[in-house]
Amino acid sequence: MTDDGSTLAVEVRGLTRVFGSGESKVEALRGLDMNLSAGDFAAVMGPSGSGKSTLLHLIAGLDAPNSGTIRVAGRDLSTLNDDELTLLRRRNIGIVFQAFNLLNILTAEENVALPLVIGGTSRAEAHSKAAAALDRVGIGQRRKHLPTELSGGEQQRVAVARALVNEPLILLADEPTGNLDSLSSDRIVMLLRRLVEEQGQTILMVTHEARHAAMADRLIHLRDGRVVQEQTLPPGREVDEILQDLESPP
Amino acid sequence: MQNAILGLLASGPVHGYELRTAYEDQLVPRAKLNFGQVYTTLERLQRNGLVQNEVVNQSARPDKKVYRLTDDGRRRLYDWLKKPSKFDLDLRNETFVKLMLTRRLAGADAFETLAVERRECLERLHEITQARAKAAEQKAPLRTVLLLDLAVFRLEAFAKWLDRCEELFREEDTR
Repeated sequence: MTDDGSTLAVEVRGLTRVFGSGESKVEALRGLDMNLSAGDFAAVMGPSGSGKSTLLHLIAGLDAPNSGTIRVAGRDLSTLNDDELTLLRRRNIGIVFQAFNLLNILTAEENVALPLVIGGTSRAEAHSKAAAALDRVGIGQRRKHLPTELSGGEQQRVAVARALVNEPLILLADEPTGNLDSLSSDRIVMLLRRLVEEQGQTILMVTHEARHAAMADRLIHLRDGRVVQEQTLPPGREVDEILQDLESPP
Repeated sequence: MQNAILGLLASGPVHGYELRTAYEDQLVPRAKLNFGQVYTTLERLQRNGLVQNEVVNQSARPDKKVYRLTDDGRRRLYDWLKKPSKFDLDLRNETFVKLMLTRRLAGADAFETLAVERRECLERLHEITQARAKAAEQKAPLRTVLLLDLAVFRLEAFAKWLDRCEELFREEDTR
């Protein structure tokens, strides 16, 4: 539930974003509308240059639109000053990037605790929450390791734990598997899926891999800075049922 | 089918009846073989000298017929295992024909066809990736996980091809 009592975690209306001007002008978003309800797992797909990452950055408050409105947890981002925006972001948004963006001189647990420490939480509390977040992503036993001692998949799990440590309303994931091999990347998306199913986490994920997008419950297809198709995917079926449908190899 | 049966007989003689369950339990999860298929294949393998049967006397129960590999059968199996498989490219594809027609016919729209096909493909992909995740979580046998992975990657390749069609149709239209 959001601040104003509605269940919309994110509401985007008429969003435009233009980069550059004159000859080099790029219209990344051209009047984009979309909603994200609490508990949704939505994937944003589209060819490169369709505006996927721009959209995510705008929702995260890392960038400002040329026109249009973005409401996160019921609050219009354009009405907030820098401090209010920082606070709203800290309380409501966790982000996972393609590059894990971990600090190599800090252990996994210290990396995860960092946003809490910066936000004024005591060291002891920050570390106990960090340890719990690392447990949630299945990597608790590696919490004392430095990022350089972890595999890519493990580092991305740490990044997911860091994004979740504030218990944000929304988890934004920008090509979270772009730097991972195919098996580790599938496991990261399965982890996101589990967070949705078991903890009701709201997730908006940008991806260009169809098999990762297909793990979401809702697909938002972008092209040329607009939503061209939305698709709600039906609930899953039992493994046995699916197997019976598959054509058996000869 | 013939080679699969040779493979199931390779570790020791098996009763014809047990072959059907072995096929499902050891090779292809949830495969539905019928006895007719199994026995027809066994007969053919026997005619070609790759398999022979023997009757085992059982004191308490009726005698049973078991099948075993001959030396030729074993050779044929291991030759087959070393050879590349015939790749099933499935190019007589319904979507392909539909797309070629919608590009030519008035009143038809290839982009609409692409959108419809993409929706369907992603829906199937959703089902199968979910099942794959569930299978991995429930520690299903590796053969189950890998069969689902095969389906996932095939569907993903198809989704990529649909994207490619869209890009090239657009390119053609702006020319």
